[in-house]
Amino acid sequence: MIGMSEELRLLEGMARDFAHKELVEGREERDRYPFAPLFEEVLAKAHEVGFFTILSPEETGGAAEPVQALCLVLEELCREDASLGGAVFTAALSQELLRQSGSEEAFKKASAGAASPREVLPAFPSFHNPSDTPLSLQAVEEGGAYRLTGKAEFVVLGNVASLALLPAGSADSGWSLYLVDLRGEGVEIGEPLLSLGLHACPAVDLLLHGATGELVGEEGKGEGYFEAAVDRLSVAAAAASCGVMKGSFETALDYARQRIQGGREIVNWSEVRMILSSMAVRAKAAEMLVRRAAAAVDAASPGWALASRAAALQVQEAATEVTCDGIQLLGGNGYMQDYGQEKRFRDAKQLQALLGTAPLRKLRYIRRVVDGERPWA
Amino acid sequence: MSRKGGSSTLLREFPDFEETMQSLAAMERMPRGVVEECREAVALARRFNRTVARNYALELDRRMQEDPAYLPWELVEEANRWGFFTMWIPKLFGGKGWSLSSIAPFVEELASECLAITNLIGVHYFGFSILAATWNVRLIDMISREVAEGERTGKPCLVSGAVTEPEAGTDAEEVELLARARVRCQARRVEGGYVVNGRKIFISNGHLSTWHILIAYEDLERPDETMIAFAVKNGTPGFSFGRMEKKMGQKGCPASELVFEDCFIPDEYMLVAASRLEEMGLLSRAARKAERGPRELGMQLIDFVVSATRPGVGAMGAGVARGAFELALQFARETEVGGKPLVNHEWAQCLLAEMYVNAALARLSYMEANYANSMHGMARLLGFKPLYYYHRALPTSVFDRFMPAANRRDAVTTAFRLLVVAGQGEEQERVASGWASLAKVAGTDLGVRNCQLALELMGQAGLRHDRRAEKCLRDAKLLQIYEGTNQLNRLNIFKCLVAPAAPEAQVFQD
Ligand SMILES: Cc1cc2nc3c(=O)[nH]c(=O)nc-3n(C[C@H](O)[C@H](O)[C@H](O)COP(=O)(O)OP(=O)(O)OC[C@H]3O[C@@H](n4cnc5c(N)ncnc54)[C@H](O)[C@@H]3O)c2cc1C
Repeated sequence: MIGMSEELRLLEGMARDFAHKELVEGREERDRYPFAPLFEEVLAKAHEVGFFTILSPEETGGAAEPVQALCLVLEELCREDASLGGAVFTAALSQELLRQSGSEEAFKKASAGAASPREVLPAFPSFHNPSDTPLSLQAVEEGGAYRLTGKAEFVVLGNVASLALLPAGSADSGWSLYLVDLRGEGVEIGEPLLSLGLHACPAVDLLLHGATGELVGEEGKGEGYFEAAVDRLSVAAAAASCGVMKGSFETALDYARQRIQGGREIVNWSEVRMILSSMAVRAKAAEMLVRRAAAAVDAASPGWALASRAAALQVQEAATEVTCDGIQLLGGNGYMQDYGQEKRFRDAKQLQALLGTAPLRKLRYIRRVVDGERPWA
Repeated sequence: MSRKGGSSTLLREFPDFEETMQSLAAMERMPRGVVEECREAVALARRFNRTVARNYALELDRRMQEDPAYLPWELVEEANRWGFFTMWIPKLFGGKGWSLSSIAPFVEELASECLAITNLIGVHYFGFSILAATWNVRLIDMISREVAEGERTGKPCLVSGAVTEPEAGTDAEEVELLARARVRCQARRVEGGYVVNGRKIFISNGHLSTWHILIAYEDLERPDETMIAFAVKNGTPGFSFGRMEKKMGQKGCPASELVFEDCFIPDEYMLVAASRLEEMGLLSRAARKAERGPRELGMQLIDFVVSATRPGVGAMGAGVARGAFELALQFARETEVGGKPLVNHEWAQCLLAEMYVNAALARLSYMEANYANSMHGMARLLGFKPLYYYHRALPTSVFDRFMPAANRRDAVTTAFRLLVVAGQGEEQERVASGWASLAKVAGTDLGVRNCQLALELMGQAGLRHDRRAEKCLRDAKLLQIYEGTNQLNRLNIFKCLVAPAAPEAQVFQD
């Protein structure tokens, strides 16, 4: 790869080893959550090696790595199990939002001590852009403090983390971000949601009844912080999807080499090769796109924000198709939980919704171009 | 050249006019009553969806995620109470005798609510189709009457169809491939019957069925020429259930392993054997064309079944395409984006229109295949107007008085086989099978496509189990796999509908 530093290469290798060691065995059982225990042990180990604080500044105990590093880690983890990827992404996203809002205090609070993943993982509704639809959660100021009331849907890690970063509307225009202590008063945590994919990366609905929220950054500026975070982290979402795609292809290729139908290994039927090829090509294109876009983000080279967003839209959609073929090539077995392919298909489709619905992200992308932002030099 | 003669020759050139326009040919032959039956069938399915499926579908799916070993007997019993398991069994055999053309619209309607429930009901007719395709009238009659009895007594009697083996999935769907397949399920001829050994996997409704229509092979080295079918009842010594699969979707309909260990099956439960065509009264067609023998009969049997059942899977695709579309539409109406309902955004309207088109295309395909099958497939005689009206008008009780005794006679089986099996032309087999594959591929691809689109539109909301859309996608994916993968079906479309334009082409050689 162009320009991958020795340091990044090491990190990539480390993430790959971690994925092999921790994410393969027991994957199907872990994916039964909420009908099986949460993979706390894996979360703890991932925290130990620093996956939840890759982007965080060093003062707060983070690694202050570039976005490229986050991308490599996500790609490697998601090759084996995107659930952990979902947790890593959500942690990075909420930390990025705190950083964008310039609220170091809040940041320190969110990562203070950082003895366990619960403390470094501010929960966040990562599958939604709060600007897309009217927010149910509303904040009211009462003597310098904010009281939050309403429903926050699909808050990722909401039943794991001790803090949540929640978007809430207020009487004036715009929405703001608030840090909420999930163990505090007036917070009702719903049952873990049953979702399409990323089962072991739980999400819950939260009901808030006048719970205390700490304003993060300035009031009414939520949208600005969020879009800035999306600029930087869209490519990380793409990296997660890219990893899932690679895992799906690798499993399909292995299977096609062994499975015999019509008197030969199915890899020797040319139609099977055609399907394998279109999977491989899309996965390779995704890898190149992600790495190029991530490097652009880190270098802040011209058009980096649009590059990051384009990568997400393109790679996420490709992943939903590649993983569909990834099931297909295993026939009936692909549809069963024993081979990991059905999980990848579900995970890829769920990952496509990261940071808001694809059509609205597409419209936002083109709005910026129409308004004069240049996608290329 | 006379003008008239000229055009009919022209129209026979590829693509053959009649072949591409199944509905045009079918319309004039179709008894008008069929339309009314389709209406009633869809209304019945709609009523069932409103009263049973809508509430139960999610609950069942959730329950299966929690406990994958759960068997939804209450659903089987409910469907049995609604009379679904005898609706499409001819009155001749004690069923309600609905026109076969009405089954696909019924299936689409059910599938628009829940594919797992649809499969649980529909796959009974897959089992029944294999049974029927053998035209062993004595056994069809006996088993059908048990199904009807089960309906009367409230003790459901379902039929499963067991073809797939661990090492032969695609291979079991096509004799060319079967010739090279590693099948393991063997039937050895012994005094008074057969001893069967082997395993069948992924058998829908296995654990829930009473009868299993089993495909086995007498000579594992020559499976393409020695296909043999049996009817096996629960409790037969040597037959047992193995594991139940943990599937991504359609969770409410179990996929079971059937295990046969030195399982003795008496001659009277043997349905048909390709190796003994003469005894079976099936040689006349083969004799007409020297190259048609046991192997061709095997393919004809497969084609009989899949020509009837693949349009049904296409209808499931149409149903889920509609279900996903309806959820997307509802979402677009309820959701405000940028200060106005999503449904008022032009791009969303175009997307919803595309989804509507997809569902309609899926429906058109299965209807066309339905026409092809009703004119050319294994039940084509029932579509003849005089027979249709006779069959429809006479009450079941009249049939019940005379038919069982008649159906027990070998001569009746022989007569039916002569008419239906031997009487089906190769062209008919080819056209019905080709259209069935077309409907299957089109309907299932469009079904999955609409689920993908619905989830894209709905974003976070679409991911939640309680919003139903994610279940549509999980359920729909299976449609591209069973009843022959869409790859096998594309190859069959080539073989049946394209290859006539490329006679030199060889299929399954690569
Ligand atoms: C939930 C479920 C329910 C089912 N219910 C039933 C049932 O009730 N009864 C029953 O008998 N069966 C049933 N099946 C089995 C189903 O019909 C088979 O899964 C299907 O035929 C595919 O076979 P396979 O799984 O062995 O895949 P394989 O045949 O191993 O196929 C693997 C891949 O190779 C491709 N491939 C194979 N051969 C070729 C070739 N020659 N050219 C190009 N590509 C090729 C396939 O398209 C596929 O992509 C069910 C399956 C499932 C998953």
